[in-house]
Amino acid sequence: MSEASAPGKQPVIIPAVEALAASRYYQMGEATVRAVDEVTFTLARGEFAALLGPSGSGKSTLLNLLAGLDRLTAGNIRVQGAELAKMDSEALARYRRLTVGMIFQSFNLVPTMTLADNVELPLRFAEFPRAERRDRVHELLAGVGLAGRAQHKPSQLSGGEQQRAAIARALANRPGLLLADEPTGNLDSRNGQEVMALLEQLNSQMGVTVLMVTHDPALAARYARRALHMADGRMLAAEVAQ
Amino acid sequence: MTRQDLFELAARNMRNARLRNALTTIGIAVGVASLVAMMSLGIGLQRFANHQLMKSGMFQTVFVTSRQDPRNMDDNADAKPDAKPEESPALDDAARAKIAALPGVEEVAPEVRATAEVEYAEHTNFTMLAGLPWSARDEDSLEKMKGSFFSSATAEEAILQRDFAKKLDANPENLIGKKIVLRYAHRQGGGAEGFQIERRQKSFTIVGLLDEQPYGGMRMISRARVFVPTQTALAMDLMQPADTQQLVRAEPAERTYSMLTVRMVSATQAEAVEDAVKKMHFSAYSYLDATRSMRRFFAVLDMFLGIFGSLALAVASLAIVNTLVMAVLERRREIGIMKAIGASDSDVKRIFFAEAATMGLFGGVMGVILGWLIGRAINLGANLYLHRLKMPPEGLLLVPLWLAAAAVLFAIMVSVVAGIYPAARAARLDPVEALRYE
Ligand SMILES: Nc1ncnc2c1ncn2[C@@H]1O[C@H](COP(=O)(O)OP(=O)(O)OP(=O)(O)O)[C@@H](O)[C@H]1O
Ligand SMILES: [Mg+2]
Repeated sequence: MSEASAPGKQPVIIPAVEALAASRYYQMGEATVRAVDEVTFTLARGEFAALLGPSGSGKSTLLNLLAGLDRLTAGNIRVQGAELAKMDSEALARYRRLTVGMIFQSFNLVPTMTLADNVELPLRFAEFPRAERRDRVHELLAGVGLAGRAQHKPSQLSGGEQQRAAIARALANRPGLLLADEPTGNLDSRNGQEVMALLEQLNSQMGVTVLMVTHDPALAARYARRALHMADGRMLAAEVAQ
Repeated sequence: MTRQDLFELAARNMRNARLRNALTTIGIAVGVASLVAMMSLGIGLQRFANHQLMKSGMFQTVFVTSRQDPRNMDDNADAKPDAKPEESPALDDAARAKIAALPGVEEVAPEVRATAEVEYAEHTNFTMLAGLPWSARDEDSLEKMKGSFFSSATAEEAILQRDFAKKLDANPENLIGKKIVLRYAHRQGGGAEGFQIERRQKSFTIVGLLDEQPYGGMRMISRARVFVPTQTALAMDLMQPADTQQLVRAEPAERTYSMLTVRMVSATQAEAVEDAVKKMHFSAYSYLDATRSMRRFFAVLDMFLGIFGSLALAVASLAIVNTLVMAVLERRREIGIMKAIGASDSDVKRIFFAEAATMGLFGGVMGVILGWLIGRAINLGANLYLHRLKMPPEGLLLVPLWLAAAAVLFAIMVSVVAGIYPAARAARLDPVEALRYE
């Protein structure tokens, strides 16, 4: 969607994500918990960023705001031009369905469904044409190396395989932004590296913007081109990795 | 989300909690079955009662009398023995023709009833003679008659009441085909000059024997022991009670009738014909009047049976609420996941409604089948009992198609209503909250 530039000026780049004093406060009786406090930052299209910070610094809360799962208390977030603060719950559901994909530390696959059914679920909500669903599900599972496990239940898979299936599901409706909340937190280093390799591949080959929460600065340093740091709900100065 | 996806997901969810959903569905089925059994009892009883009355042909008949008639059938405001002539026209041939021209009227038969002497095998008996209209031939009460009905509307044939026939011959069956002679009072002349009365006689062939009174004995016209075709009786110019009235009042006039029996093609026209006749300033009476209160009774009965039948379904609907609330609690995380990957609040709501409706559909269909079986069992028991009393079998419970369809729809409706609270609860669930804990 990058428009043709006005003559004599630099091309205007519309960022993938733009947070403007985004805030999420919790009222605990008298006290106000500022889980995310006036966070402002941008992510460029196709960027791979890591979000670091101590426990309780507000990383998950920020990610949930970006995912449209949680509502802003104040400020605004723009994702590919869409303003989250102005959306009603129906529009937010549509946004979650089509614009973002999310993966979690605990995978969050539906345990009673096969991998194929799990991957089909977002296609159902998006009313993806029935005739093309089988192919799409197969293509998605093949893309994460799980074509042969389509009819398996999550409990029959290793953690790494489950997280890869979750990635396939997150990508079902081809979102431009992938949010990952400690995707390797529950994995051993070999499985963790597999998942990271997959994310890197998606980012570099398909141009998906990735924002990943992690506790592990080494992981951030190795895969992310940029690291964002949070502390006490605030965003510290952004820095370029490497 | 498309409807097909919705019901696929609902079916999957129901399979995952098979036992619980099956038990709830059976609960609905029992509720629907009790409703269907109760309603079908009401419907069956009403049909049974209607059928008994319809069989008598009563509903197709309106009785018309003159308002002047002192023997007027009902003592309602219609009866005005002292009414002025314009308010109470004579029940004569002109009136008969006017009534016969009303839409839906099959036959207008005057009541002809007179005393007569019957001679057979050199014995005489004094008795009542009456005309039997041609339209009475398909009367249910005549079905069980020995012999046959008159061969034509103007035949010189007679049907005898069995008790009377016994006076003529110890074995009444022997009388069929035999001849009798009837002696009667004949009205001679008419109009302004008045009339004379003569004694006459006529020979008739006995064609049938009657056990019951025609029209179940509920009609004045039928209170006689010898019946001849009404048209034959009219041609005989029998002296009638109305003639006596004319004679006493010294008002020489055309022949009038004391009563006309108006026979309709179907019972549905009775009310309209009755109204039209009343507008002509005659008294009219039909058995529809008598059954109005009966129909009201059945409406109330149906309502009570429906309410009692619904109680079990009301209990079953609480089971649905319970089952679905449990499902919402159990599937908290799953609901959170679905929202995270793009389900809207209304998608979540619809999934739970679809589950409720599915239970309602299966419960409803099962319930209708169960209710029908219960009805069959009751019918079987009742008929066994009737058989022992040597009575013909009757269908007491009836499950018409509309009741089956309505019961299934009602079950789905009740289930969806029961799903409102659990579905709203599921839709309200905060996904961040639901996904936070393992
Ligand atoms: N529902 C809530 N009510 C009150 N406070 C909350 C709620 N959710 C989060 N918080 C608070 O907001 C702050 C940020 O929490 P958050 O889960 O975003 O931290 P995090 O950076 O993801 O931590 P971790 O690394 O342990 O996952 C914490 O202090 C937490 O207690
Ligand atoms: Mg967290």
